[in-house]
Amino acid sequence: MTAPGAALVVLALLAGCDGAAPPPRAAGAARVVVLAPSATETVFALGAGDRVVGVCAQCDYPAATAKLPKLGGYLTPSVEAVVGVRPDLVIVVPSPGNREAVRAIERAGVRVLVVQDRTLDDLFTSIAAIAGALEVSDAGGRLAADLRSRLDAVRARVASQPRARVLLVVGHSPLIVAGGGTLQGELVEIAGGTNVAADVGNAFPQVSLELVVARAPDVILDAAMGTEEGGRALFAQLTTVPAVANGRIVSVGSDVLFRAGPRVPEAAAALAAAIHPG
Amino acid sequence: MRAAYLTRRRVVVVTAALLVLLLASLLAAAGIGPVPASLWRALAPGAAGTTDYVIVVQTRIPRVLLAGVVGAALATAGAGFQGLLANPLADPHVLGISGGAAVFGAAVLVLGVDPVSPIVPLVAFLGALGAMTVVVLVARTGGRTTPHALLLVGVVMNAIAAALIMLVNAVASYRQAQGVLFWMMGALTTQDYFLVALVGAYAIVGAVVLLRHAAALNLLAAGEESAASLGVDVERVRRAVFVAAALLVGAAVSVSGMISFVGLIVPHVLRLALGPDLRLLVPASFLFGATFLVWADTVARTVLGPAELPVGVITALLGGPFFLFLLRRSLRGGPR
Repeated sequence: MTAPGAALVVLALLAGCDGAAPPPRAAGAARVVVLAPSATETVFALGAGDRVVGVCAQCDYPAATAKLPKLGGYLTPSVEAVVGVRPDLVIVVPSPGNREAVRAIERAGVRVLVVQDRTLDDLFTSIAAIAGALEVSDAGGRLAADLRSRLDAVRARVASQPRARVLLVVGHSPLIVAGGGTLQGELVEIAGGTNVAADVGNAFPQVSLELVVARAPDVILDAAMGTEEGGRALFAQLTTVPAVANGRIVSVGSDVLFRAGPRVPEAAAALAAAIHPG
Repeated sequence: MRAAYLTRRRVVVVTAALLVLLLASLLAAAGIGPVPASLWRALAPGAAGTTDYVIVVQTRIPRVLLAGVVGAALATAGAGFQGLLANPLADPHVLGISGGAAVFGAAVLVLGVDPVSPIVPLVAFLGALGAMTVVVLVARTGGRTTPHALLLVGVVMNAIAAALIMLVNAVASYRQAQGVLFWMMGALTTQDYFLVALVGAYAIVGAVVLLRHAAALNLLAAGEESAASLGVDVERVRRAVFVAAALLVGAAVSVSGMISFVGLIVPHVLRLALGPDLRLLVPASFLFGATFLVWADTVARTVLGPAELPVGVITALLGGPFFLFLLRRSLRGGPR
C-alpha cells in the first residue's frame, strides 16, 4: 500500500472513531455535475448519486445515469447546459479539448474540481478529492480500502501462477498497444502478467507487427474496437509467438478496462481470468 | 538545372537508374527495422518458421512493399493531376477524392467493422470513386471540365468530407472516434501480400493509362486551343487522366489513410531535375515515389525506437515546408 493510501485509511479510521456528534452543517456540494465516466462512477460509489444533476454523454454507469441530463461530451462539455442546471460543483478530467469550457464554467462562478483518471494512483487521489468536496470522507476511506482489498484478492489468486508475458492491444490498424504508465498496464501486472510493451514509450504507442514477434508474448489481450476475428487475422501469420501458436489471443473488449473508476477490481479480475484461466 | 531535350535514350537511362535505386532501397529497407533480424538468415532455405523468417518475410517485407506501391500510386497520381490542372500546387488530396474515401471508411469503422478487414479498403475505394464522380459531374459545364472548376469543386468536397467525418465522430463512442482518428492519420501497417499485389496492380494500370496520355498532356500544357488544333481530343484526355489518377489515389488511400504531400513533393523534385515532359515524369514519379515512401516509412518505423510514428507525420513534415517554398516561388513569379 502506498504512503498516501495508508494515510487516507488512517484518516478514515480516525474519522470513524470520532464518537462525538459531528457539528451540523451543509454536507458538501448539493448539486453536482460530473463530466467524466470514471468520476461519475466514483460519485455514485461514494453514495452521493442522488446529488448528481447532470453528467457527460459518455457517462453510462451506473444505470441511474440514464435518467440524468447529458450536458455535452466527455471532452466537449456544453458550458450553457452545465451552468443551466445550476450546479454548485462540477467535476472534470483535464484535457486540451475541455480547457476553455472549464474556464468558462469557473467564470460563471461555479466551483470546479479537476481530477486525473489515467492510473490507479490517480483513482485513489481522485476518490479522496471527490469525497472531500462532497464531505463524505468516511465513505471515501471505505471505498478506497474496499478497492485495495479487492485488488489484493486478485493478486492473491494469481500469486501461485508463473507470470505470463502479456501484450494488451487497443487498436488493430494501425497497431496500438498499452505501454508504460497506463491503467491497463497496471491491471495486467495485478492480474499476474508482465506487460511486454511497458518500455515501448508513451502511454499508447503505435508499434509494428515485428515488435510483437520480437517480444513474443504468451498471451495477447485484445481490447481493440472491432471484431475478435479481426484480431486473430492480424496475428495469424506470427507462428513463432507463443500466444499465436497456443491460441491465447483473448478478447477483453470492455469499457471497464478503460476507466480508472471504482470498477477496476472487476477489470483486474477479468484480465486475471484471461491470463490465468482455470 | 536546364533539362536536356527528351530522347528515347534519356528516358531509358533515367528510368533504369531510378529502377535500380528503388530495388536497392527495397532491399535495404527490408534489412532495417525496430527489431534486429537477419535478412540473410530469413531468406535462407529452410528458414520458414524461424523468428527471423516471421519478422522479415511475414511482417517487414509486405510492409515495405506496401510503402512502395502506395508511394508509387500517390506520386504518379500527383504527376497526372499537376499536368492535367496545369497547377504546380495540385495534390491528389486537394481534389476531394481522398476525402470521399475517408468518409466511407470512417462510417464502416463506426458501424463496427474491424480496421483489419478487407471490407475497409474496398469501401474506402468506393468512396473515392463516388467523390470522383461527383467532382467530375459538378465541375462539368457545357460538356467541358476546366481545371479551375475541378479545383474549386475538390476544395468544397474536402470541406464537406471533413464535416461528415466530424459528424460521424460526434455520434460515435469516444473509443470508436479514436480508432477512426488513428486510421485516418495516414499510417502504413503490415498487410496481406494479396492486398499489396492488388494495390500494386492498380498503380501499374493507372501509370500505364497516364503514360499513354502523356504526350497529349504535354500539348495541353502549351494551351488548350493549340492542343485541339494539333488533333488532341481535350475533353477525352482530361477525363481519362482524371479517372486514372483518381483510381490511383483511391487505391492508395484505401490501404493507408491520408498520407499527404507524397503526390506533391515527388513530381516536383523530379520536374526540377528532369524537366516537365510527362513521358519521362510519369514513370520517374512512379519509381521515385515508391523509393521516397519506402524511406519515409523506414524512418517512421525506427526513429522512435520500438514505437512508431505514423508515416503521414514524416511526409507532412517534409512536404509542408516544401509546399510553402513552392508557393513563395510562384508568388514571386519565379520559374516553375
